[in-house]
Amino acid sequence: MNNVIRISIYTLRDQMRHKSFYVLLGLSILFILTIRGCYDGGYTVNGKMVEPATVAWHVSKIVFHLIAAGMFLMVSMLSMKIFSRDHQDGSVVLFLSRSVFRWQYVLGRVTGTWALCLVFMFILHLTVFLTVWVKTGTIISGYLTASLICSINLLFVIACVCFFSLFMPDFISAFFTMGILFVGFISDGGYQIINSDIVRSAVPSSADGGPAMWRVVYPKVFMLQAYADAIISKSDFHNMGPFHPLLNLSLYIFLIMVLMLGYFNRKEI
Amino acid sequence: MIILDSVTKKFGAFAAVDNVSYTIRKGESFALLGPNGAGKTTIVRMLLDFIKPSSGAITINGRSTSEPESRQHIGYIAEQHMIPPFLSGFEYLLRHASLIGLSGQDAVKEVDRVLEIVAMQGPQRKKSATYSRGMQQRIGLGAALLGQPRLLILDEPITGLDPIGIRDVRKILENLRGQGVTVILNSHLLSEVEKTCETAAILYKGKILIKDTITAIVKDHETLEDVFVRFIEQEHE
Repeated sequence: MNNVIRISIYTLRDQMRHKSFYVLLGLSILFILTIRGCYDGGYTVNGKMVEPATVAWHVSKIVFHLIAAGMFLMVSMLSMKIFSRDHQDGSVVLFLSRSVFRWQYVLGRVTGTWALCLVFMFILHLTVFLTVWVKTGTIISGYLTASLICSINLLFVIACVCFFSLFMPDFISAFFTMGILFVGFISDGGYQIINSDIVRSAVPSSADGGPAMWRVVYPKVFMLQAYADAIISKSDFHNMGPFHPLLNLSLYIFLIMVLMLGYFNRKEI
Repeated sequence: MIILDSVTKKFGAFAAVDNVSYTIRKGESFALLGPNGAGKTTIVRMLLDFIKPSSGAITINGRSTSEPESRQHIGYIAEQHMIPPFLSGFEYLLRHASLIGLSGQDAVKEVDRVLEIVAMQGPQRKKSATYSRGMQQRIGLGAALLGQPRLLILDEPITGLDPIGIRDVRKILENLRGQGVTVILNSHLLSEVEKTCETAAILYKGKILIKDTITAIVKDHETLEDVFVRFIEQEHE
């Protein structure tokens, strides 16, 4: 078996040994199940009853983004200690005293953590999807596809935190990555609001003039969320600049991984 | 064959290893001796590519240490060997076995074999967090012995071991010598080195003071300890 796959499997197994993993998953599912009451309520807008399916659809979209935001936090916490913990408990010596390339070790750890978080997020999104289906009989097409697309965001966060943790204290590396996400949230969120139908119809000149270059090339984490949202809503996606957020993030992930492998290759164990 | 060719390792301006050259032949039992901070562990870490030399080259059987293949048949035990606390000794050894290419029943059989050698068959399924220092060291030695290694690098292997453990390690090393396994032993216990190794080098401040067979280094009515102290004191003066 390839060393990358082997180390990924070890990473998955080691994380899943912790009871806290199952407690967190259980609590998250319970939290999601508590929102199912929203679908039963009788809601009126301008004196008209809103169909439960419409309510469920809107609530599910909000929960979709809440789950993603929660996952960013969880992924940061999981990733920030990968290298320092391995150094402290002897795992890094276990792998690198054998004929394992350093890039195999790094890639194995990153993909293992990503696979775990991807499955975790998918289970939560699947819970929402199934709840809506059971309660209202509506299938939100594109919901699970959107979940898989958003997993690229998780990989970006893992790569960022791991890279920064090589030369920053663990917590600072997670905090720094959150800062990057927050700036993107303001930049991309602002762009989405300006280009929304409501703002465009109210202020037709709002979208005149292109965004600054740094905003176009900035990591498009929030924009990918918006793209996933557009898949669920089956609405138009207003992209910023010529690069699709998937391409933008893929390039960033590639670049960060190359830098991380280069740095780790020279690191003293 | 292991060749160190003009190897220097600097940490800032401090040279932990200073222009060291020597060759260890296949099947040789070689001891690296020296006081604390002499550069012994630095050399071991360079052999495993945990750190890179500032200059010079190290090859193991013709391969540079920067190639992971050079570690294919190496068994290594670190000073203060650490085992991830969530793994049992058995799981830890199974991971090592998997990394050297063993799988399924072959891996389990090999792990059982080394567990017997290092006398850890009882507590092998307990989490390593419950192990004593000596038990961790025994499991570490077991990991080093997996898969019939051709080169054993032992960095203070008897740290934390009781007298029975020390005797067991000595027996294991004697047995390996008989099988033609090359051994690099880094130890402070000179009496043990005298019993188990045939050649030795004394390091001081990153430089090799002497490298020869132990019988050539130790003169009549002297012990290795006497020679070691004499060399270090000469350097002090």
